[in-house]
Amino acid sequence: MGDESVPFLLDQGTTKTYQIPIGHLDYKFIEKCTDVKHLEKILRVLRSGEEGCYPELTLFCEKRIEHLDPRSRALRKDKPAATASDFTAEEWETINSDLMLYFPLVYKGNIVCLFISRGALLCTIIELIFFITLRFDVEKECSRIDEGCEESSSKARFFSRPSLPIIEKNIDTTGMTKKEKIFIATREKEKGNEAFATGDYVEAVTYYTRSISVIPTAAAYNNRAQAEIKLQDWESALQDCEKVLDMEPGNVKALMRRATVHNQLQNYQTAIEDLNKVLCVEPENAIAKVKINDLNMTRKRLYAAVFHSKGGGSKAEERETQKQKESTESGLKKGTSQKEPQKHLSDHGGEVNGYLHSGQKSESPEAEISRSHVAGSQSAGDGSSTSLPPAAAKLKGEGNELFKSGQFGEAVLKYSEAIEYVTGEQSPDDLSILYSNRAACYLKEGNCSDCIHDCNRALELQPFSLKPLLRRAMANESMERYRQAYIDYKTVLQIDSSIQAANDSANRITKTLIDQDGPNWRQKLPPIPVVPVAAQLHRWDGGDFISENKSKSTTDEKFKTLKNEGNDFVKKGKYEEAVNKYSECMKLNTEECTIYTNRALCYLKLYKYEEAKQDCDHVLQIEDSNIKAFYRRALAYKGLQVRKKNMAAGGHKKKRKKITIQEVTESDEQEERQFATSEDVVTDHVTSKEAVQTSVPLETSEKLHISEPSNAYDFGQIINAVNTNKDKAACADLLTITDPKKLPVLLSNKLEGEVFLIFIQSLEYYVVGKDPGLVYQHLFYLSKAERFKVVLALLSKSERKQVQQLFDLLSENQTNQYSLEDLESLKKVYEL
Amino acid sequence: SGLERPQVVAHVQQALSYTLFDCKWVPRSARLLCLGSAARGTGLLQLYELRGGRLALLREIEKAKPIKCGTFGATSLQQRYLATGDFGGNLNIWNLEAPEIPVYSVKGHKEIINSIDGVGGLGIGEGAPEIVTGSRDGTVKVWDPRQKDTPVANMEPVQGESKRDCWTVAFGNAYNQEERVVCAGYDNGDIKLFDLKTMSLRWETNIKNGVCSVEFDRKDVNMNKLVATSLEGKFHVFDMRTQHPTKGFASVSEKAQKSTIWQVRHLPQNRDIFMTSGGAGSLHLWKYEYPAQRSKKDSEGAEMGVAGSVSLLQNVTLSTQPISSLDWSPDKKGLCVCGAFDQTVRVLIVTKLNKV
Repeated sequence: MGDESVPFLLDQGTTKTYQIPIGHLDYKFIEKCTDVKHLEKILRVLRSGEEGCYPELTLFCEKRIEHLDPRSRALRKDKPAATASDFTAEEWETINSDLMLYFPLVYKGNIVCLFISRGALLCTIIELIFFITLRFDVEKECSRIDEGCEESSSKARFFSRPSLPIIEKNIDTTGMTKKEKIFIATREKEKGNEAFATGDYVEAVTYYTRSISVIPTAAAYNNRAQAEIKLQDWESALQDCEKVLDMEPGNVKALMRRATVHNQLQNYQTAIEDLNKVLCVEPENAIAKVKINDLNMTRKRLYAAVFHSKGGGSKAEERETQKQKESTESGLKKGTSQKEPQKHLSDHGGEVNGYLHSGQKSESPEAEISRSHVAGSQSAGDGSSTSLPPAAAKLKGEGNELFKSGQFGEAVLKYSEAIEYVTGEQSPDDLSILYSNRAACYLKEGNCSDCIHDCNRALELQPFSLKPLLRRAMANESMERYRQAYIDYKTVLQIDSSIQAANDSANRITKTLIDQDGPNWRQKLPPIPVVPVAAQLHRWDGGDFISENKSKSTTDEKFKTLKNEGNDFVKKGKYEEAVNKYSECMKLNTEECTIYTNRALCYLKLYKYEEAKQDCDHVLQIEDSNIKAFYRRALAYKGLQVRKKNMAAGGHKKKRKKITIQEVTESDEQEERQFATSEDVVTDHVTSKEAVQTSVPLETSEKLHISEPSNAYDFGQIINAVNTNKDKAACADLLTITDPKKLPVLLSNKLEGEVFLIFIQSLEYYVVGKDPGLVYQHLFYLSKAERFKVVLALLSKSERKQVQQLFDLLSENQTNQYSLEDLESLKKVYEL
Repeated sequence: SGLERPQVVAHVQQALSYTLFDCKWVPRSARLLCLGSAARGTGLLQLYELRGGRLALLREIEKAKPIKCGTFGATSLQQRYLATGDFGGNLNIWNLEAPEIPVYSVKGHKEIINSIDGVGGLGIGEGAPEIVTGSRDGTVKVWDPRQKDTPVANMEPVQGESKRDCWTVAFGNAYNQEERVVCAGYDNGDIKLFDLKTMSLRWETNIKNGVCSVEFDRKDVNMNKLVATSLEGKFHVFDMRTQHPTKGFASVSEKAQKSTIWQVRHLPQNRDIFMTSGGAGSLHLWKYEYPAQRSKKDSEGAEMGVAGSVSLLQNVTLSTQPISSLDWSPDKKGLCVCGAFDQTVRVLIVTKLNKV
């Protein structure tokens, strides 16, 4: 903005107040400005009208400020009081009638007050509210209050901690009318609520107690119970809940609270009863449902534990059976009674999400039963797990848990046991799943041959199951048996063409195979099995189709969370974990380039240059101008010490810089926020690397054209890079493409000894042999550059020698582009 | 969400023929009192009743001196005697049913009583009923209506020190029989907190500009928060729970408007909501939000308070003249009366306070 706005300023001047450039009173400026303080000033100028009246722009500016800082004081405007037009007719009616309804009562009381009867002290006829309003002798009343307080303090039921202020627990209500009592009871309860809201539970209990001492209301008891729960005073809370339920038997809050208390007191049965009562009143109460389930679990577990201790080890199996039942039971309850988001527990939860559409699922073998199973047998879902013998199911469950927690070795053992159990029984489905799960463990362990073995078995039992196929493919791929892997991936794709990971892998392998086997690679492939239509069609089965949709809708969210998790890991420097997260993301969505670039960055950090390069390659296939990918690939190349590929030349540099900045503002914020810093750090290396690459002969098909540096800034950048690396070849390249005549301009005032020297050296080593004419030209124009004399004067003897050598070479290779006389005179300029 | 915010409705407007200084709801009624100064220099006291969409004048009482301020804070709910401070420095307590002679009268100050507050009545505040008055003569005096002629406490500058004009007084901390504090604000920006139990100055600070109004969020709880408004449009919210030995109470300040904030009044039904009335005829409704932790230990291990934040719930402009007095109905949540220098009293309804 700086340079361009100067003439603008001169043209139009500034505002009278604040001296804001007139140019800032502009939609474009306001839209881009992020400085709230400045915008507020602009708004004040606009509102004042001293620079003219722009209602639209003012509004626009307000909106912009609101967007940036919704609580900005500048947005506060004088507003008239609300009128009927600000409300719906109904609301307006309520507001007015509310008042009418409230006051007649009070009003009646007031009329009565006009007939004040004197003197009647300590009367108990307070109930005659409307006709006799008592009036006390002030002194007597006060003394009575004092007495009452002493009395009440002795009655105090609750102890305050000594550090806490001592507040009376009871209020003496003698002589109060019912209305006064209501007023005071309400007020004390409000004080309790306020204390509760600020977390002063002891104080809250005190004020509820005071309220109750005036009028015992269900609400006050109920609130006190809640405060007591917070203080973990279970007995008192229980009593209070019971008081409430005496007054209002169906009070849901009290029931819930009593259930909580019972739970804490380990009266699980009573707690469940209370929750059931809640469900009678509010059948849809989600919290109650969840709590019941939890309680059932706890209770059963407890029961089982007792049982176990009685019956000894022999009963263990029975206990497991029970556990199994219970979990399915609860699962069923959840499934039927409500559609609540639930954690995927051991069994069929994974079913809903299609494999590989949910990254997490693909990790866990429990999702196993998913599509393959649907494809294989009609009895999908719940049936499958129940058909397992309980012991095997338990083993499998344990295996799944172990797998989830990353203990693959142990998981293998569990699965193996389960397999032994099931073998011989007529349940090929289950066996297949177990094998497949075990295969997953092997795959994770890197035991590819066993993995393939298990997959083979699983596939014998259940041909064309997705998961074993995929796992076998992965195992084959890791063992570099690309052809087999390719076949498997292709088979998978026949069954379900939407599995992105398979698609990607197949493409990847295709390339490798082309490299390996040449254009006729296909001929070397074993035949790809044809998937029977039946297996393919199952994908479109009604149920599955629904689950497909479901999974899609959740995919985006999962993707986001995974990505965020990955980003978080990067922030913390945990690159391995980040890589895992990103990899999961990719399973959900392969289109998203940022994931790949992010992962590439992690790989770079982990010094896994090859992987980083692959990720960048991938991105560049999708988006051939992705700057980050270029950057990171350059870094990867540097890491690999491979100097054969070439990205952009110096000419692109300025552009590139600009784009990076745009990225910061435009692209995905989350990513930017964290990468902005790392990017900065890397930039130096990148530039140097790129500069180096300019020197490399363009040989690959991917090469980009190097355009010569268009201005001094570009040139300076490249020179800096070249200089830090002392890369004479790159420098020579740069000089080759640079028009000598422009040299003084490009160098501007940046000529330094080091730069001068590297010029000389690169000209000497790389250019003079090929094109002495160019060298002469460069030397000639170099001498015209600013600071040339200074640099020359500061050269050391050996450095002078180098210059001398170059001139010697020039005279040896003299061409018709310059004469010896020219050379001699130039030598004089160089003070040789 | 704009519609979900509280709205301020001007329910009734009543033009008056005299200068209005203070207005007060009569507890447990639909009545309100207007206190002021008639053109001929006498004091006026008008009792109105809210009837439908209008105010009906029930009674008008004229007194010798213009009445500056009034309170029901020290009376019982049954008696509902009004205590007033006038331009002559007199503290009077009136039975509104028989207003001819005051129930209690004392020439408390040499000059005008600027501010008055009461505690121990209306079921608000433990302990004896007491009235505090702050005057231009620089003194703050606490009165027990049972004790004739002499104040139970007199807070005045040490001899030789210049007298400041006391603009505002407020009771607080009256959560049991013994505890009680008085907070006073002065024209030079001083805020002083007097502990009536120990009869000592507990804390003082200066907010640079004249202190127009101070109020505790509740008088009858362990001191929780104090709001002080100032002449140049700022107000300060002090968290009064934790007093640091040297730093005192933590506070947050907010600028409401360019002009003086004349008054602050907390919603009787929710201590964290309060309204300020401003010099330019505006009202601002605020909510205080507590920080996650209200106190922390400083480097020496002493407890110090942590201030929260203040958010604006609503603001309206009702007049071009300053709104000098403000009072929430103690009975009906959201009902509010305010008096302005444009000689108009307004009954307001603030909606949706339950949803805040």
